[in-house]
Amino acid sequence: MPDEPPPFLGTWPRVYTAILIYLAALIVLFYAFTRIFS
Amino acid sequence: MRPLDWLVLCSTLTFIVLYGLYKGRGSDTVNKYLLAGKTMPWYAMALSIMATQASAITFISTTGQAYVDGMRFVQFYFGMPIAMVIVSATAVPLFHRANVYTAYEYLEKRFDGKTRALASAVFLIQRGLSVGLSLYAPAIVLSVIFGWPDRLTTLGMGALITIYTVTGGIKAVTWTDVQQMLIILVGLLVAFVLIIRMLPPALSFVDAVYLAGAVGKLNAVDLKFDLANRYNVWSGLIGGAFLALSYFGCDQSQVQRYLTGKSIAQSKLSLLFTAVAKIPMQFFILFVGAMVFVFFLFERPPLLFQNLAMTELQSPEANAQYTPIETRFEQAFERRKDAAIGLAEARRKGDGARRAEYLDQFQRAQAEINRARTEGAALYVKTHEEKGFNDTNYIFLSFVTRYLPAGVVGLLIAVIFAAAMSSASGEVNSLATVTVIDIYKRHVRQNAPDHHYLWASRLATAFWAAYAVFFAQYAKKLGSLIEAVNMVGSLFYGSLLGVFVLAFWFRRVTGTAAFAGMLAGEAAIFWAFWFTGISFLWYNVIGCVVVVLTGVLVSYFKPARRAIAETEPRR
Repeated sequence: MPDEPPPFLGTWPRVYTAILIYLAALIVLFYAFTRIFS
Repeated sequence: MRPLDWLVLCSTLTFIVLYGLYKGRGSDTVNKYLLAGKTMPWYAMALSIMATQASAITFISTTGQAYVDGMRFVQFYFGMPIAMVIVSATAVPLFHRANVYTAYEYLEKRFDGKTRALASAVFLIQRGLSVGLSLYAPAIVLSVIFGWPDRLTTLGMGALITIYTVTGGIKAVTWTDVQQMLIILVGLLVAFVLIIRMLPPALSFVDAVYLAGAVGKLNAVDLKFDLANRYNVWSGLIGGAFLALSYFGCDQSQVQRYLTGKSIAQSKLSLLFTAVAKIPMQFFILFVGAMVFVFFLFERPPLLFQNLAMTELQSPEANAQYTPIETRFEQAFERRKDAAIGLAEARRKGDGARRAEYLDQFQRAQAEINRARTEGAALYVKTHEEKGFNDTNYIFLSFVTRYLPAGVVGLLIAVIFAAAMSSASGEVNSLATVTVIDIYKRHVRQNAPDHHYLWASRLATAFWAAYAVFFAQYAKKLGSLIEAVNMVGSLFYGSLLGVFVLAFWFRRVTGTAAFAGMLAGEAAIFWAFWFTGISFLWYNVIGCVVVVLTGVLVSYFKPARRAIAETEPRR
């Protein structure tokens, strides 16, 4: 079964990188949320 | 439950079953029954993965957890996107290209029959113990809230999932999971909107968030590294990643979801969508719990939310000890309410001095309330010798049944049923698949026609559904063993993960070495469980590392007699 390219960002490594950046952004956001409201 | 609630609940459940029967049509070969003929689109798999993972008790207790402990539980999910990326890049293409029905089938292609048999046995034990609990745990909560007999509830849920799971196989399971996940999301959204609308008119949304944060309910991230602390950013990122790797890479109840994908790309997308959606969803569920906390700043909550416990505490036998606790609780509630009103007002006016003064009063009153609740729970446990009493599971449902309007209560009870049924049906389906493919077809009858295995799969599905109901019927008698059963997943996942890591990345490791590694990994995990205070999230890390090290060492001293080239090309 051949591996197709992803529907966005061109290659799978780019998609994986985007997911990890997204995770880092979420943690930063949640940390800011914790600091602001604590 | 009012008539409108019953109408909403019954029509939702009927719709789920009918929809499952409709979508499961045409599952007339083993491939279609167990893998949906590999036709599933990414969004159906993604929602099915999320629905299978979110059990009813997760939904019930997560909101309660935010009420009691704040939002720090969200960190538990931080490792999931990392795991999803790794599983997408490695396991998904390997499993698809190996053309397997189960993850353990792949282990025989890579190693040998005994490693596959051991991994299958570990899965059957672990998942077999948890499948009954998926039905039992919500049933026991509903029995306390509504007085419904828990045996009848588990039997009802079991019967419903049997209807569509036995007839339609994984196609029915996946498409009903999609509906169930949508019902869960709608239910949560409706609950959230209603909670916000029920807050005092003078209180803005920002005030509400500020008040929750003032007593540590919005503690979403803790940067301090501590092995004994279950939830901090490090245990979430490292321990959570290992747990998610084990769950999504080695647990058939999840692997089977993405093996139904029409292509490798569709399967990858389903996992990556879950990686993106899961953390915000859990954050939202916890935030709902934090807003329930704010609601109860202005509406007096009971000392304990479990109504049976409260009735017992108010009985003549316990009343003498209970009354002083209740009095302190009431006084602290009034002080907390006044302080909350003052604090919100001082925040709006930007009055720093008043803000500090009210914040101090608010936090001291909250500490007194926490003490009173702890003492009340301890009194109940002491007078009733009830081990494992947990009031957290009753907070959200107690709020729902007492304050939400007719129809919405039915919808949220339907959410609990949907969550329980989606988890249990996925588990039953995967248990049947491993039973037929890894045990029956491999060891009992190898060369029967396709329709023979199709019927064997249906029978195995019916068997596991009946087993789940049977286990749930007698779960109460297990007493404190229930807690041990809850730990089973973390006791076995690490070694399962370790053997798959060896399979994917260590070309020279032999079957015997992998088998020895699994046994050593299990021994290490049980050692950590019995003799150390290490939090369970780290068991997966320990188990996996020990399996890999043992496998590599054994292979070094006892190398393979023949080259390993019988399976997939590895990276």
